[in-house]
Amino acid sequence: MDADNHVNLLSLRDIYKIYTIGGQEVHALDGVCLEVNVGEFVAIMGPSGSGKSTLMNMIGCLDVPTSGTYKIDGVEVSTLDGDALAAIRNRKIGFVFQGFNLIARTSALENVELPLMYGQQGDRKAAATAALVRVGLGDRLDHTSSELSGGQQQRVAIARAIVSKPRLILADEPTGNISTLQSEEIMQIFQQLNDDGVTIVMVTHEEDIARHCKRRVDMRDGKVVGDGPVKDRLMAGDVIEQLKRPLVAEPAAVPAGV
Amino acid sequence: MGLLEYFRLAVRALKSNKMRTVLTMLGISIGVAVTILVVAIGEGATKSVADQVNGLGTNLLTVHQGPRQMKLTAATRNAPTQTQSTLTLDDAQMAATMFPDTIAAVAPQVRGNIQVRLNASNAQSTVLGTTPQYMIVNNVTMRSGRFFTMLEAQGNLKVCVIGNTTAGNLTGNPNADLTGQTISVNRDDYLIIGMLTPKGTGTGGPDPDDMVMMPVTTAMQRVLGAKYISDFSISCISPTMMVMAQQQVTALLRQRHHLMPPFPQNDDFVVNNQTDLLARSQNVTKTMTMLLTAVAVISLVVGGIGIMNVMLMSVKERTREIGIRKAIGARSRDILMQFLIEASIISVLGGIEGVILGVVSAVLLASFGGWNTIINPMALVLAVAASASVGIFFGIHPAQKAAAMNPIEALRYE
Repeated sequence: MDADNHVNLLSLRDIYKIYTIGGQEVHALDGVCLEVNVGEFVAIMGPSGSGKSTLMNMIGCLDVPTSGTYKIDGVEVSTLDGDALAAIRNRKIGFVFQGFNLIARTSALENVELPLMYGQQGDRKAAATAALVRVGLGDRLDHTSSELSGGQQQRVAIARAIVSKPRLILADEPTGNISTLQSEEIMQIFQQLNDDGVTIVMVTHEEDIARHCKRRVDMRDGKVVGDGPVKDRLMAGDVIEQLKRPLVAEPAAVPAGV
Repeated sequence: MGLLEYFRLAVRALKSNKMRTVLTMLGISIGVAVTILVVAIGEGATKSVADQVNGLGTNLLTVHQGPRQMKLTAATRNAPTQTQSTLTLDDAQMAATMFPDTIAAVAPQVRGNIQVRLNASNAQSTVLGTTPQYMIVNNVTMRSGRFFTMLEAQGNLKVCVIGNTTAGNLTGNPNADLTGQTISVNRDDYLIIGMLTPKGTGTGGPDPDDMVMMPVTTAMQRVLGAKYISDFSISCISPTMMVMAQQQVTALLRQRHHLMPPFPQNDDFVVNNQTDLLARSQNVTKTMTMLLTAVAVISLVVGGIGIMNVMLMSVKERTREIGIRKAIGARSRDILMQFLIEASIISVLGGIEGVILGVVSAVLLASFGGWNTIINPMALVLAVAASASVGIFFGIHPAQKAAAMNPIEALRYE
């Protein structure tokens, strides 16, 4: 239970990521410091080129910093090798991508089982089924991604992210490719997961989506330029209620106008 | 992740593109099938050559006419290379009597094409004039009747024994027993005193059963009008005597033919022994086998390149999948194994298919084509092992390429 000892889940200190493109140095991350505690729900915002994707890759252990220290759950990451990073990604982090990134021609159930295949032992099918039920897809276990809507595909991706019970969920523009109602449904799942104690870090450029989070971090030119709690937070359940209401009200409004 | 897991993953990937999998497998199958077929044919050919040479009789030397450039006189200087035999019946008889320590029997042979007639039917055949020694030297047995005796041979008598094919050509029934009947050769009547046991055609060459055998003197004087014999066969006392007998006969013939050095350029005869013959034909077979094996190896390599090509394509197509797998915790080794096992499955299945294909075609060739094929179980095992190694060898590069992918770039790949 070493997890309980670290209230501080993510700790990034003076993170630099410097690329050399055509002989010119590009500072994708320029001295980023960021602390995230267990139970937080963080939105990272910023225009394209601000370094938010690079930061996400860093947090997700897909990339290592040029300099600086990064600890996840108390483990120093910047010195680990590929296999150790893979193990951390597998056990501590769940990824949700903008493009869903499900494996084609493969059922929802098998997509969700995937992280377990590279990690822990046990009854994979039961765990994957439970995760899919949790995101409301208990009746779509055998559907392949081409048989699911965008919102449903993203929910499969969320089930895949939570199946190995990670402490952190990293979401990169999770609502970028789907409709407003479906986006709210996704955010509702995230809020429920967060209420259950899962830490979530999400990159988005939509103000509305960011307002569902608890904390907002703004980035520009590889630096953190703003960090504070979200004011007048939106609850996805309420927004869904509002979105559904006009649909019911509209047919009634038509005869009134005639 | 266990081996079984990698295997399941690979099978699913292969199933999702069946046509491509089957075509890639076919490349390997053909390579393996060709290898097996080639080895089967090679071994079959080697064996039938050995059988044929052994069938000639043991401890056998044969004396043929040889090429000699006669440049002794002005008259013969410009003559073409001599092809007419200069071996005489006396040469053969001298060889038979002079070296009792090394030579057991000598059978002179004179050959020619003849027209034979039985009642109203005509047939082309070959006459072979020889002595009763021929039975010993060439392992001849009789189906019915008897061979001619020494007395008949010396007495220039009009008797003969015939082979099955000749009998068949004359009567329409190859199993007809014509013993006691009379056939006419060159308008002269000959009594058939026996039928030869059929030898069957080996691999090509003239039919040994299309034969009218008669005393050598009869054949030379009455039928062919020949002064010289075509060749003679010598049966030595034992295999160890063969070298000595060869030297003795060579010396005897040089002296009798008044030949002058240099030898062997001026020899008008050639003494062949069985082992020479065997070695020579086996050399030919060996060269053929090596050549065909090279073809087989090349086709395996081509199949392997096919696998590599398909795997590289597959890795590129599945870049995103590789990115996803790596992001959610697959190690490089997991990705490497997934693709390596995919390549191995293709090649091993292709190999097994090739074994079936190769064995079936070898059997078909043997039963319908009349080829002599021998399937060596070792060759089958080797072929499958070779195809598996081809798969692994040509699968390593694509699998390494997949394993080395950067997950961020792979996820971004469109």
